[in-house]
Amino acid sequence: MTIALQRIPNFWPAYAIPFIGVAIGSIVVSPLREVQYLSDVTLLYVLAVVLTGVKFGRGPAISCAITSSLAFAYVFVPPYFSLAITKWQNLLSAGIMLLVALLVGHLTASLRSHAKTLEERANRSLALYELARNLAGKQTSAEVKTSAIRFLCDTLQAASPELYFPADFDTPTSPLTTNLIHASIEYRHLISTPDGTDDQSLVILPLIASTGAQGVLAFKVSTRVIESSHYRELAETVASLVGVALERTHFAEIARQSELKSADQNLRFTILSSLSHDIRTPLTSLIGTVDTLMLARKLPPEKQDSLLNGLRAQAQSIHRLVSNLLEMAKLQSGGIKLNKEWQPIEEVIGTALRQANDITQERTVTVDIADDLPPLQFDAVLVERVLWNLIENACKYSPERSPIEITASQNGKFVDVAVCDRGPGLPHGKEEEIFRLFQRGVLESSVPGAGLGLAIAHNITEAHQGKLLAMNREGGGSCFHMQLPAGTPPPLNFRD
Amino acid sequence: MGDAERILVIEDDHHIREFIASALESEEYRVINAGTAARGASEAVKHIPNLLLLDLGLPDQDGVEFIRDFRGWSTAPILIISARTQESEKVAALDAGADDYLTKPFGVSELLARVRALLRRAPAQRTEDTPLIRFGDYSIDCVTRTVMRHDVPLRLSQIEYRLLLVMAANPGRVMTRRQLLIQVWGSQAAENDEYLRVYVGHLRQKIEATPAQPRHILTEVGVGYRFQP
Repeated sequence: MTIALQRIPNFWPAYAIPFIGVAIGSIVVSPLREVQYLSDVTLLYVLAVVLTGVKFGRGPAISCAITSSLAFAYVFVPPYFSLAITKWQNLLSAGIMLLVALLVGHLTASLRSHAKTLEERANRSLALYELARNLAGKQTSAEVKTSAIRFLCDTLQAASPELYFPADFDTPTSPLTTNLIHASIEYRHLISTPDGTDDQSLVILPLIASTGAQGVLAFKVSTRVIESSHYRELAETVASLVGVALERTHFAEIARQSELKSADQNLRFTILSSLSHDIRTPLTSLIGTVDTLMLARKLPPEKQDSLLNGLRAQAQSIHRLVSNLLEMAKLQSGGIKLNKEWQPIEEVIGTALRQANDITQERTVTVDIADDLPPLQFDAVLVERVLWNLIENACKYSPERSPIEITASQNGKFVDVAVCDRGPGLPHGKEEEIFRLFQRGVLESSVPGAGLGLAIAHNITEAHQGKLLAMNREGGGSCFHMQLPAGTPPPLNFRD
Repeated sequence: MGDAERILVIEDDHHIREFIASALESEEYRVINAGTAARGASEAVKHIPNLLLLDLGLPDQDGVEFIRDFRGWSTAPILIISARTQESEKVAALDAGADDYLTKPFGVSELLARVRALLRRAPAQRTEDTPLIRFGDYSIDCVTRTVMRHDVPLRLSQIEYRLLLVMAANPGRVMTRRQLLIQVWGSQAAENDEYLRVYVGHLRQKIEATPAQPRHILTEVGVGYRFQP
C-alpha cells in the first residue's frame, strides 16, 4: 500500500484544461444563443466550474470561474464577440454568474480537499496499524529491522533504507556520517539533508524509546516528499513504533540470556557433584588396588589376577566417562560439525555392535533390520556413538544375561532404530526427563555412569533433525527409539 | 643384530613408551625407542626397523609428514597410534602410507595382534605371487577371475570383483575409502564415497551370511574398510 501524500497536480494542465474546455464549449454552444435563454447558459458555465473544482482544486476553479464569465460576456451577451455589455440586466447576470461560480468553485474545492485529507489519514492509520501488528510479532532485532525496512520501501517511498544499531554508529555507509547520526539523536526528530544528486534527500530518523536511542533509520526520498509535514509526521510515528519494538526485543534477549546463564550455573553444579562421585569412586578403587598389589606381593596368583582384572575394568570405566564428558563438551559448545553423508543405517548398527562386543558377550543380541530401508544422511561416527550408548545403557540397566533386541524399520518419514531390553523399564511420566544431562532413572544408584550417555545420544539425534524416544515395553523392559529423517538420496550414475 | 625383528617406537609419553616396549620385548621383539620425530628419523636410518609404531601427536613434527618422509625410502609397515578425536588425521596418515591404526586407549593384546598381523604380511605383499586367495568359505582365482563358494561360482559384476580382490589382497589392513576408490574406479573417482558404499553393500549381500553384522568386510567408521579373512 502506498499513501498518496498531498498529490499536487501539475500546474499547467490544471489551469489549461478547464480554460480550453470552456473555450471549446462556448464555441460549440454559441449557435444556440438565439434560442437559448441566457440563464440556461450560465448554468452550463457553473457546471464547468464545479467539475474543475472537483478535479483540480481551488486555484483552477477560480481561474475557470473568471474565464467562464469572460467567455459568457464575449460569446453570449450582445453585442456578440465583444466584451462590451450594453444592457444593465446582462451585466447583472454576468456579475451574479461570476459570484456564484467563485462560491461554488471554492466550496467544491474545500470539500474535495477535506475528503482527500480524510482518506489519507485513514490510509496512514491503516498502514501504521499494520506495521504495529507486524512488529508486535517479532522476536529479534533482526526481524524488526527487516519489517521496518520493508515498510519504508513499500509505504514511505524510501530508497536504499538501512537500519543502524548503536554498535554500527561509527561505521555508517556514505553519504551517512557518524556526525549526522549523533545530530539526529540529539535533536530527537527526523532530520533531512539534500543528497546533492537529483532532487533526493537523505533522511535520518532516530529511533528513540524510553531507554534512549535504539538505532537510526537512514534512507533516501525525493525532496518534494520530505517537505510535506504529513510525511514527516508519519515517518516519526513509524520511528517511535520501531524504536519501541527494538527496545522490547532487546530486553527479551537480555531476559533469555540471564535465564540461560542461571540454567548454566545449575548445570555446572550438577556436573560437579555428579562427577566428584563418578570419578572418585573408580579412582579410589584403582589406587587402592595398585597399592594392595604393591604391598602384598605374596598374594596367591588367582587373587592377583582378579585384582588386576578389576583394575582394568575401573580404568575402562574412567575412560568411558571421560570420553562421554569430552563428547558432551564438544556437543554443548556447538563445536561439532556434522559430517553428513548418505549411507545405509545397517552399516553403523553393525559397527556399534562390534564395538559393544565386550559388554554384550554374555547376552543374546538379536538384530532385525527391515529389507529395503532407504539410505539416510547422517554422521556415521556420531550415530554409531548414539547406538553404542543405547546398547551400553540397555546392558547397564537390565539383568545380566537378559536379551537385547535391536530392530530397524521405516516409520512414515523416519527410519526407526530401536534398542530394547528386559530391564525394569522406566519410571512412569519420566520418559522425557531421562534425556536431560546428568539425569538418571534412579537417583543415587550403584550403577556407574553420570547420566551422560543418553543426553549425548539425545543431542546427536536432535542435531540430525531426528528424535530419540524412550518407552516402556509390553511384557517388561524399555525400548529406546532413535528416529532419523528419511530424505531423498541424490541419484547415482554408475558405470559397471 | 640377531634374528629378532626390530620395532621402532616413536611416542612422546614415556609411560606409554615404556609399557609398549615391555609388551613387545616380552614377545621377543627388539624395541628401539624415540621420544621425538627427529630422534625417530635418525634411529630409523640407523637400525632399519621391520615395523614402525608412530604416535600421531608428536610435539616436533606432523605425523603425516613423517610418514611421507619414511615412505620415501622404506616399505616397512607403519602402525599409527592416535587419540579418538583425530578422525581426519587418521585418514590422512593412512592415505600417506600408514598401514593400520590403534586408538588410545588400547589394550596390550590388541597392540600385539596388530603388530603380528603387520609383520606377517610384510614379506609377501605382492599378490601376483598367489593366484588363489582364500578366505572363509570362498576362494578367488585371479587368473580366471572367478570367485567360488564351496566350488559354486559366485556371480559378481566387474566392479564387485575388482573391489573384492583389492580388499582380499590386503587382509586385516585398514583401507581408506580414497584408497579403495582409486584402486577400483581410478583416481578421477577418489571423492565418490557413494559408489563405494553401494558396492560394499552389494558385496556384503553376496558374500556375508548376515550383511548387517559382516564377518569379512568390516566398516571402520569415518575411515574406510578392513577385510578380515
